[in-house]
Amino acid sequence: MVGKQKKVLHLFISLVLVLTLLAACSNNSKTNNEPSPAPSKSTTTEGTNAEGNESSISGIDTSERVELQFYMLGNAPKDLDKVEAQVNEWLLEDLNATVKFNYTTWTDWDQKYRLLLSTGQDVDLIFTAEWTQYQQYAKNGAFMRLDELLPVAAPKLYEFVPQDMWEAVKIDGNIYTVPATYKEYVTGGFVWREDLRVKHNLPKPVDIETFEAYLAGIKQNEPNIQPLAVGQDVGATLEDAYLDFQRQRVGAMPYGLHASYSDPSNIVGYWGSEEHLTDLKRYKSWADNGYFSKNELNETDGNQDKLTNGTAAAMLSDNPTRYNSVLNQMKALHPDWDLAYHPYGLTLGYATPVHPIHNGFAVPKNSKKAERALAFYELMVTDKRYNLLTQYGFEDVNYTVEDGYYKMIGDNTTNGFVREAMNGWAWRNPEYMIFEPSYDGVEAIFNELDKIQVPDIYTGFAEDYTPYQAERAALEQVEKQYLYPLMAGLVDDVEDGLKTFMEKANQAGLEKIQESYKQQWLQYLQESGHN
Amino acid sequence: MKIKEDGATKWFRFIAYVVVLTGSVLCLLPFLLIISASLTSNEEIVREGYNLIPSSFTLDAYKIVFMFPEDLLRAYGVTTFVTIVGTAIGLLLMTMAGYVLQRKDFKYRNFFSFFIYFTTLFGGGLVPYYMLITNYLKFGNTMNALIWPSLMTPFLIILMRSFIHSAVPDEVVESAKIDGANDFVIYYRVVLPLAVPGLATVGLFLALHYWNDWFHSALFINDTAKYQLQFYLYNIINTSNFLNSIGAGAGVVLSGPVPSESMKMAMAVVVTGPILLLYPFIQRYFVKGLTIGAVKG
Repeated sequence: MVGKQKKVLHLFISLVLVLTLLAACSNNSKTNNEPSPAPSKSTTTEGTNAEGNESSISGIDTSERVELQFYMLGNAPKDLDKVEAQVNEWLLEDLNATVKFNYTTWTDWDQKYRLLLSTGQDVDLIFTAEWTQYQQYAKNGAFMRLDELLPVAAPKLYEFVPQDMWEAVKIDGNIYTVPATYKEYVTGGFVWREDLRVKHNLPKPVDIETFEAYLAGIKQNEPNIQPLAVGQDVGATLEDAYLDFQRQRVGAMPYGLHASYSDPSNIVGYWGSEEHLTDLKRYKSWADNGYFSKNELNETDGNQDKLTNGTAAAMLSDNPTRYNSVLNQMKALHPDWDLAYHPYGLTLGYATPVHPIHNGFAVPKNSKKAERALAFYELMVTDKRYNLLTQYGFEDVNYTVEDGYYKMIGDNTTNGFVREAMNGWAWRNPEYMIFEPSYDGVEAIFNELDKIQVPDIYTGFAEDYTPYQAERAALEQVEKQYLYPLMAGLVDDVEDGLKTFMEKANQAGLEKIQESYKQQWLQYLQESGHN
Repeated sequence: MKIKEDGATKWFRFIAYVVVLTGSVLCLLPFLLIISASLTSNEEIVREGYNLIPSSFTLDAYKIVFMFPEDLLRAYGVTTFVTIVGTAIGLLLMTMAGYVLQRKDFKYRNFFSFFIYFTTLFGGGLVPYYMLITNYLKFGNTMNALIWPSLMTPFLIILMRSFIHSAVPDEVVESAKIDGANDFVIYYRVVLPLAVPGLATVGLFLALHYWNDWFHSALFINDTAKYQLQFYLYNIINTSNFLNSIGAGAGVVLSGPVPSESMKMAMAVVVTGPILLLYPFIQRYFVKGLTIGAVKG
């Protein structure tokens, strides 16, 4: 009798626990109720701040002292405490607030980012970018609508950022993030060892044919150097880069879809097509010719490192800024080596500057100090004291300015706050920015690209993948398992391999995903007037 | 008198030695590689890969690691503190739990045992766990978040329970009761001294867990001063992994120092070295503790 009761009890408890488990799985993103009503009662208490300081005229209530929680990705610089103390000293006067700078580190940063936003943590400002899925988070209501709040809490900032940028970051017609105004290009370009090219009299890579000729020349003349560094992530370093150049793709579209920049509304399935087969055969020929290693999928060294250390002689694609930093590293190690760069844009005739979404700061929906947070962010961007301190550290302690150039004091290991140590990509202010002399090289490239600039029409698109979330995960697995080896040239019969991949991808639900994505994309193009 | 060995035994021995020897060489090789790599210059590693014997001997990596040892020492301090405090509190709680769960006069012992056991099979997942720690317990960014979550492990509680069950006969408890001891005195004066080998095992498991933990730092700690040692190391490696994996399109250029290959290895040696040296001395308790209570007689 007792035993039976116990059994029933156990069964009951197990059931309850299983049920709670299921419940927890099904709606973890929707736990926070109703979209936030933007607090708009603030206009009444204009200028109540006792200090009567200039920057507090913005018309927000600063009577109560608050601590702002500021979240940025990456590692905290060594001297963050000192900078924070100084910022707080100013901030107490200006806004009757203090700020705590929190850093997520790069360990599981995406998971931490998600947890911070989905579990209602005390976060007042957080970094956003297209690679942190700003569009998706904004669409799902993780951030606060800033349209009404900005003119009230941060009028200067609202003025400072051009209107078309505010338009560009809008998701479903609302502003959710404050974009950075610094204009840069992160578009691709061929990178190669210029000294070797000159030494062996090889052609200058400006398109795939000349690039191949260069690789062949290296293979022939430099047996100890791998001509091309590809690395583990062949999807990005090979396919995305190749399509970006050869087929002028509008952006790194997922799920094997393709649309060209000139005709974005003509979106077609690329995977399994004739073009795909041709391209795969080309990668295969590179692998067969020994341009990159058979073991490339297991490579753990960075491509850039391989270039600076002389184990590889070219990269299919990199952006100007990173190319420049690799060049400088190489020059420091091997003064007699040289690197050169050819931006795709110069061959293609167009280049897209970064989309305003690329760097920004948003106020999470749960923040109770949104006004003060925005007012503080305004200071970070527009106030020279705040901006210089949080970007470059203390003048004469961390850096000096020589002939208008930034100069670090000490070196990377001894300086506690190197240039942009707080990863302040988003609050860069072009008016106050100071650069190292080596930046001149990047600027020259940027100036050239400026002449052919066209707007980025891909990044503003916010994909909603909730209708095909399960298929998406399955497809990702299939891609890694069947497509990556194909790209890395590990499958002997490319045609057959592609067939197998397509079969598995279709089983995983490729068609459903593509249909839904196409529909969303076309709708976006129509709404944004890009087609 | 010596017992003569027949051929089969000899062969068995021979094969056993070979197997054990290869096994230990296979275990040692990676460590040798790490040590050798930490003594090689970084360019050498990138150009020629890892070698068992450093082709160009240099102490540069260690010089960089020890140029600013504060961070490293602080991380050592945090891990040591968390390990000692966590193991002490954890042992106290788990022995009490184990003792109570094996007392026959505790009516609901099976129910509670099952309840504890159940949590090993089903958990709420990461999001509820994160919310519990940060929103309800308010442990975020404190040492609490490093200590409390690991205090009670179901496996160790059950191990403790069966250990006490086999090491402390009921009669001993009964006689103590007749002598006028209350439950806590019995636990403290009778059960604990008898359960010392079990304490050593469970304590070692727990201490190792605390020492190797990085996950709680990763999730809950924002303050660099409270990073655990393993997280400190892991994060250095993750930073360079991130730089390698992030696409060119993200345009991320980090200005801070990026650890080189040989520096990573030097860090690994500095971080794991001391505990490796300690291991042989405490390892025997492991074996003893695990087999104790396995055979009832």
